[in-house]
Amino acid sequence: MTVHSTKTKEKIGKAVFAAAAIICVIAVVAIFAFLIYKSIPAFGKLGILEFMFGDHWSPDRLDTYDSPLSGTYGIFTMIVGTLAATSGALLIGGIVGYFTAVFLAFYCPARPKRILTSVIQVLAGIPSVVYGFFGIVFLLPMLSRIAPNNGSGLLATSIILGIMILPTVVSLSETGLEAVPRAYYEGSVAMGATHSETVFRIMTPAASSSITASLVLGIGRALGETMAVVMVAGNAPTYPNGLFGSFRVLTSNIVMEMGYAGEVQEGALVATGVVLLLFVLVVNLIFGAISGRKPGAVVGKRKERRLAKARCSRGIRIKDTIGALAHKLHAVKLGRGMAIGSGILTGAVLLLVIGFIFIKGLPYLLQNPSLIYGKYEFGSHNITILPAIVTTLYAVLISLLIAIPIGVMTAIFLNEYAKKENIFVRLIRSAIDILSGVPSIVYGLFGMITFVKIFGGSSNILAGALTVSIMLLPIVVRSTEESLKSVADAMREGSLALGAGKLRTIFKIVLPSALPGILSAIILSMGRVISESAPFLYTMGSVITAVPKGLFDSGATLAVALYQLSGEGWYMNQAYATAVVLIVIVLALNLLAQQCAARLGRKLKGETNGKK
Amino acid sequence: MAKNKTASQSVAFGQNISVKNANLWYGDFQAIKNISMEIPERQVTAFIGPSGCGKSTLLKCFNRMNDLVDGCRVEGEFRIGDADIYGKTDVNDLRRNVGMVFQKPNPFPMSVYDNIAYGPRTFGIRKRSELDHIVETSLKQAAMWEELKDRLNKSALGLSGGQQQRLCIARALAVAPKIILMDEPTSALDPISTGKIEELCDELTKSTTIVIVTHNMQQATRISHKTGFFLLGELVEFGNTDDIFTSPVDVRTERYITGRFG
Repeated sequence: MTVHSTKTKEKIGKAVFAAAAIICVIAVVAIFAFLIYKSIPAFGKLGILEFMFGDHWSPDRLDTYDSPLSGTYGIFTMIVGTLAATSGALLIGGIVGYFTAVFLAFYCPARPKRILTSVIQVLAGIPSVVYGFFGIVFLLPMLSRIAPNNGSGLLATSIILGIMILPTVVSLSETGLEAVPRAYYEGSVAMGATHSETVFRIMTPAASSSITASLVLGIGRALGETMAVVMVAGNAPTYPNGLFGSFRVLTSNIVMEMGYAGEVQEGALVATGVVLLLFVLVVNLIFGAISGRKPGAVVGKRKERRLAKARCSRGIRIKDTIGALAHKLHAVKLGRGMAIGSGILTGAVLLLVIGFIFIKGLPYLLQNPSLIYGKYEFGSHNITILPAIVTTLYAVLISLLIAIPIGVMTAIFLNEYAKKENIFVRLIRSAIDILSGVPSIVYGLFGMITFVKIFGGSSNILAGALTVSIMLLPIVVRSTEESLKSVADAMREGSLALGAGKLRTIFKIVLPSALPGILSAIILSMGRVISESAPFLYTMGSVITAVPKGLFDSGATLAVALYQLSGEGWYMNQAYATAVVLIVIVLALNLLAQQCAARLGRKLKGETNGKK
Repeated sequence: MAKNKTASQSVAFGQNISVKNANLWYGDFQAIKNISMEIPERQVTAFIGPSGCGKSTLLKCFNRMNDLVDGCRVEGEFRIGDADIYGKTDVNDLRRNVGMVFQKPNPFPMSVYDNIAYGPRTFGIRKRSELDHIVETSLKQAAMWEELKDRLNKSALGLSGGQQQRLCIARALAVAPKIILMDEPTSALDPISTGKIEELCDELTKSTTIVIVTHNMQQATRISHKTGFFLLGELVEFGNTDDIFTSPVDVRTERYITGRFG
């Protein structure tokens, strides 16, 4: 088609955008290559089967690849632990999440619905260390009353993970439920079925694929979670023994020992990361298969037929078997109760987490404001989080400086240039999908064996920021692409029809319209950097020390500082106050992101200043 | 930008359009079948026909907006004046000379002034006085200067639909095109706004050629000098508007204009 010669400037522009997209692919390849490269010797020395199915883990840090082993390296207890914790989380978060979604979609009046929706957004934004901290200070003491130990173990882990997967399950399920055609509802009600009967017999089955997808995504989230689990699981490398009792999952294995690992031990930990990555990839594949199936016409038709049949048979049932119906009505009523109860529970959980931490932390913070700006002194009991705040700012600034341009340019390439789905485009898209599924501890592992080694061997700000910037890429790309998509094609055509080139159209027309969306991508990324801790521990630093002086100093971010403070048990007041600071920042960013999204909507609808 | 200017000097775009043996496919579907026609300069030429007959598609060949459609393939000769537009012409240069007004008004989300200055700025005009002059003349040409001169810095999205469409015409005029293509420009507008745009078309033929796609046959009779009737990708009949509507040669044209299908 292109008979004419494109201008060089346009060519260079396209090449730059494509190059940014290629970086995403390179990142995925590099992560897999390095992890596998680092774990092969360990698999070789230990034996894949012995490593995977051995249930004894007692590493010796003096082990080297050249000497006979004196430690044992089997992760089967942790695989079982991971599966158990994930199942527990799914049982709690899945059920509550599902019913909360039903509540939101079918039972909740408009006003509380808005509130509950933002509650769920806030729950999604709370850093995992804060959940872990809440587990330590609230949940474990509560459970210890009925537990033989301090309360840690499978039950505590399942509850915390369950809360953490709630937002994922709720928002995705609700979207699916809202998408069920209204006609199904009307068809059922018109035959005399009640609201609740229709909801549970017609509407929820019709949305089953998105509900399943939301559960699978929740599983992915629970599998990859690290810090919150470390804080409540107990972490002994044993099988989970009942509801209470110390156990260890794959992610926490890496966090617990990476800091001081010997040669073979490090290999075994990287290998743990590879196993974890495999688990997550399988879950992602399942998710892709489920959610990709949704628009499939054939399945859709088949489902529609089944639903039609269901509706017919309902009619018969209602007429014929009144006794059976009474029984069913009972179940349906139970469902209604569950939905309303879950909705309230979800709101209460947020209130509890935030309320408890604020009540404990805010007074201390107000009485000791020097916690925020005090000068760090070595060995002093006057804790200051100023270094952590500065480190966090560094982390945010540098990782955004890297991730935002690359991410935005990748999104521009995907949305503005790659209209055709060729192999290259599909490669980029799947790279971004994979990146978004990689657990954050695996990023940390990757950063530790690459960036830390490159920049001087010990953790430093630059290495941490680089690590996290890869993690941000999928967030930036997706959110930017969404906002680019929402710019009407008529705008692009209008510009091109005036003789403007593609680059000018992108920079003068498309990007300004998409700016609020890109801004919210920036805010989301900031929130993510501030909330994350697992990828920072061994790349940027884990010790609260003096304010870092440059990019090659190490430092703990606020979230990492909270982890350290709460783990030591000496400075609980300071830990509460730090959690308050974290929550306030995250809430503020959340609010800001919502404002941006709202502005994008208004801008595209033609918000005016001079309308009469 | 400099390269672009030299290109525009080297090719002479005229004001008449000449089409020879044009064929166009969207994938396997042939949307235009062997069309040849001569569109005269500084007149209004109307394209009429039922939906999906290829009239809009042909219109979009004249400024190569079809390039944006995936799987679109064009054959045949398209000339604007002497310039072979699918040959060595720079596509941006072509679109500067062949402006377009779309079915739905598409003002950019910026001020009235910036909307009109967008085209001139694209082609390197940066001086404020020069831009002011262009904005004023373009709005005057589009008969909007009086209603908009105090609102130049207000968002164009705040204008009414009819005003937005005339603004889009002014925006097209700002780069002094030799031809303006209009793709059903009044289909989303009320009768009064439609009347204003029709008047404007008449006015514009002093300096530009206008090709307009319309579903409204009265509109074609009111404003056009020439009319082409399209059906299933073919140009059934093309001639003076008076002749087409009073004594059509082809029976299909007659059936269409008397409202028996379409």
